[in-house]
Amino acid sequence: MAGTALAPGKVRVKTSAKRGHRSRIALVNAVPVTLFLLVLFVYPIVGVLSLSLKGDSGGFTLHWYTDALSGANLSVLISTLRISAETAVLSLLVGFVLAHAIARMRPVFAALAMLIVVVPHFISALVRTYGWIIMLGEHGLINTLLTSIHAPGAPYSLLYNETGVVIGTTSVMLPYTVLVLQGVMRGVDGRLLAAAAGFGASRSTIFRRIYLPLVAPGIGTAGLLSFILCLGYYITPALMGGDKQTVVAALIDQQVMKQDQWNSAAAFGVILLLLTFAGLGVLGLAKLRRTKAHTRRSGS
Amino acid sequence: MPERTKLLAAALAPESTSLTGKSLSVTGLRKSYSGTTVVDGVDMEIAAGEFVTFLGSSGSGKTTTLMMLAGFTEPDSGTVSVDGRDITKLNPGKRDFGFVFQQYLLFPHMTVTENVAFPLQLRGVPKAEIRRRVGQTLEAAGLARFAGRKPRELSGGQQQRVALCRVLVYRPPIVLMDEPLGALDKKLRDQMQTEIKSIQRELGLTVVYVTHDQEEALVLSDRIAIMRDGRIEQFDTPRGLFERPRTPFVADFLGAANFLNGKVEEPTADGCTRVRLDTGGVLTARAHSCVPGQRVRAAVRPGKLRLVGVEEGCCSGTVETAVYVGSLTRITVRLDGAAPGTPPLRIETAHTPPRPGERVCVTAAREDVSVFDEMDGG
Amino acid sequence: MMELPATRAGHIGRGITATAILLFLAMPIVIILVTSFGADGIGTFPPKEYSARWYEQMAAPGSDWATSIALSSLVATLTTVFSLILGVTAATALARGRLPLHAAVYGLVLAPLLIPQVVIALGLFLFFEPVGMLGSPLAIALGHTVLAAPIAVLIMISTLKGIDERLEDAAAGMGAGRMTIARRITFPLATPGLIAAAVFSFITSFDEFFIAQFMSTPDTRTLPVLVFNALQFDVDPTVTAVSAVLIALAVLALALVALVRKLGGHRNQQQGVLPVEPLT
Repeated sequence: MAGTALAPGKVRVKTSAKRGHRSRIALVNAVPVTLFLLVLFVYPIVGVLSLSLKGDSGGFTLHWYTDALSGANLSVLISTLRISAETAVLSLLVGFVLAHAIARMRPVFAALAMLIVVVPHFISALVRTYGWIIMLGEHGLINTLLTSIHAPGAPYSLLYNETGVVIGTTSVMLPYTVLVLQGVMRGVDGRLLAAAAGFGASRSTIFRRIYLPLVAPGIGTAGLLSFILCLGYYITPALMGGDKQTVVAALIDQQVMKQDQWNSAAAFGVILLLLTFAGLGVLGLAKLRRTKAHTRRSGS
Repeated sequence: MPERTKLLAAALAPESTSLTGKSLSVTGLRKSYSGTTVVDGVDMEIAAGEFVTFLGSSGSGKTTTLMMLAGFTEPDSGTVSVDGRDITKLNPGKRDFGFVFQQYLLFPHMTVTENVAFPLQLRGVPKAEIRRRVGQTLEAAGLARFAGRKPRELSGGQQQRVALCRVLVYRPPIVLMDEPLGALDKKLRDQMQTEIKSIQRELGLTVVYVTHDQEEALVLSDRIAIMRDGRIEQFDTPRGLFERPRTPFVADFLGAANFLNGKVEEPTADGCTRVRLDTGGVLTARAHSCVPGQRVRAAVRPGKLRLVGVEEGCCSGTVETAVYVGSLTRITVRLDGAAPGTPPLRIETAHTPPRPGERVCVTAAREDVSVFDEMDGG
Repeated sequence: MMELPATRAGHIGRGITATAILLFLAMPIVIILVTSFGADGIGTFPPKEYSARWYEQMAAPGSDWATSIALSSLVATLTTVFSLILGVTAATALARGRLPLHAAVYGLVLAPLLIPQVVIALGLFLFFEPVGMLGSPLAIALGHTVLAAPIAVLIMISTLKGIDERLEDAAAGMGAGRMTIARRITFPLATPGLIAAAVFSFITSFDEFFIAQFMSTPDTRTLPVLVFNALQFDVDPTVTAVSAVLIALAVLALALVALVRKLGGHRNQQQGVLPVEPLT
């Protein structure tokens, strides 16, 4: 019925004069944050961009980029991408297992588990990293434990290498992946799985053919999100990595703080920015496709 | 003297002076949202102290009309006036109306007392006076022991009583209610209907009420406006709507109706309209401005069709089904000569019903037959 | 409810895996808390003897730690004020008004949470360096507001959206004016959200490292900058005590927010704190 959606079950003041008034109030209220972010967020980033394109003598140049994309710098970039990818995969795996388990826990335990996942997010990343350093060190808890049970090869070196970095970054990204995955898992209708079982599907088939496709959008989002957030991450690689685990963020820090190489730092910043935009673009496209499919469905 | 219900006592508690409602007049009210007309020209006069209900299905424009009376929605055109004063442009708060909504809309951060005191505070009533009036109102409404509670700690019925108290405490002359009992269960709803009705009658309040529940509308209202597609189909007393439906829609909406097409014949000697039905047989209706030869639809309620032995002008047919539903039996009859696809006649009878397959003849008393022009929708 | 029953093996397997992961996640934090009371600093775990000496060293007047805690508190307070102002106004515009360019403003607000912080930090460095404001608590707070304001905006948006606007209409219908509605209806209902926004803005700033690092001078180092230096260069056991304090701060802050929400009768936990919802 045409009127059903329009007839205001919702009591709203819908006068044209008031509508104008409302959008005027909205505009006035939007000014502070917009102005603030334009001046202290957008403008500085534009500054980074222009600096990255400025030669020593002031003219336009791309040589900061060619520098950044060659030799030792390129390998830093590649190791950043590799660490981010590894983190994305690991946090996705761990996050999936956790979210899946939490979804089926009794409410009390689920709440407790969520607490353990989410609370660290609000604790300084430095502090958490420090905890990992104490725990993963040669004489740390993990190695002491593994040595005492005579695990082959113990003690392992879990610190100042890529393993350490990825463990650290994964723990930082985990709250995001768990929350995103939980969101999609909650949306899965348990009756669909039961229905599949009713047709005689085995558990692994149900998981592969029904469950995974249903949660796939969330997996994509969670993975990309942790990849993006990892790209510019600094604390954990700097404290838990070795020389080989220098990441772009650390390089930028060095170039600004120690070498006064602002232009080069700016070029690296822009590269990180572009990679982030690319990731966000993929996320946005996927979301757009889903929304479109949805409107098509509900529109017919 | 009607029984004094708790809420009525609550309404009377603060002051003994009786209050009279004000009259409300609506002309040419129209509203459309992005091209779709929701309310399409509503005119009505509501007398002071009258209980008027907008009845209609969802999308009929009843709530939008109420919201325009309330001032929450501005009409595209038309006027609303109270006691002759044009209030169309006035803000809701300036109209001195009372509102009761389906969702109660109690303020969740205020206690029951604070909720009921709120409208009095807005009116600048002195503190001691507020305390006295709120206390008396809650006491009388049987809500005194919940006075310190927050709305979420109350049941739905209790919340609704608080919502009513919050309106009654400031005595608005006109109260608008939008399906206020929609969220309550049947028993509670019946009880609240009685209370609302007695308060309205006792205080002489003008109440404009919206519901989609026919029974509720019939129980409460002095007059009912049946809404359809943004228009008032008929505005009349419950009896008038039942006995003198002005359109086939109204006839069918309030208790179902059978429709039979036919052609008007010469009037009877005493001025009644005679309709020769397409299926054969003749129905006679009370005087109606019909021209002989005009194509019409005759409407008869299922309970008003009578099964008779063969008799002059009766409509013959075959019983299709007969279902016993307690106090009466529902029968469907396929008339001889009925076009394929037309629904069978629905008849309700308390007498010994015929069996399926039996031949019967059907007729109706002239006061139970309504006649409409065939062009009228329905 | 029809559902696929869990197998016993699956149930136990999931339980054990999840418990192991959760223990692994919680361990670093527990270790810090315990170690901070160990007499021998970062020696063996668990410590053989317990004492409060690292806490005493941290709080000693004139120590670098005490100075930087004071600075961080100042910066975080300023940040909280700034982001509350921005958060309330922006959320009013985004959640309540009919804002032209709604998507653009929303995107702008969300962006600082997704853009690499190192880029933001570099930009702010280049912005404040020429005007000689590096090391100024105000400049650091403005920088932190870039990160904290979006969080405050998200929290306030979900707070305002959680308030039934029809309650305001109901009050208007009884004759309440705009100011009365704001004071008596909207503000009290938004208080839990305001407190949450304040708390999260504060700890966002108090814990922030990268921007502070770029904008610090040798004389003005916020607590995280000092902690980072301590971890990277000299191994000062006092850092465990500092870390424990930061953990306690976070837990207290979350507990406060949870308590306020509970008192406010909200059942909805974790709203708009991580920028996850807008993305999915």
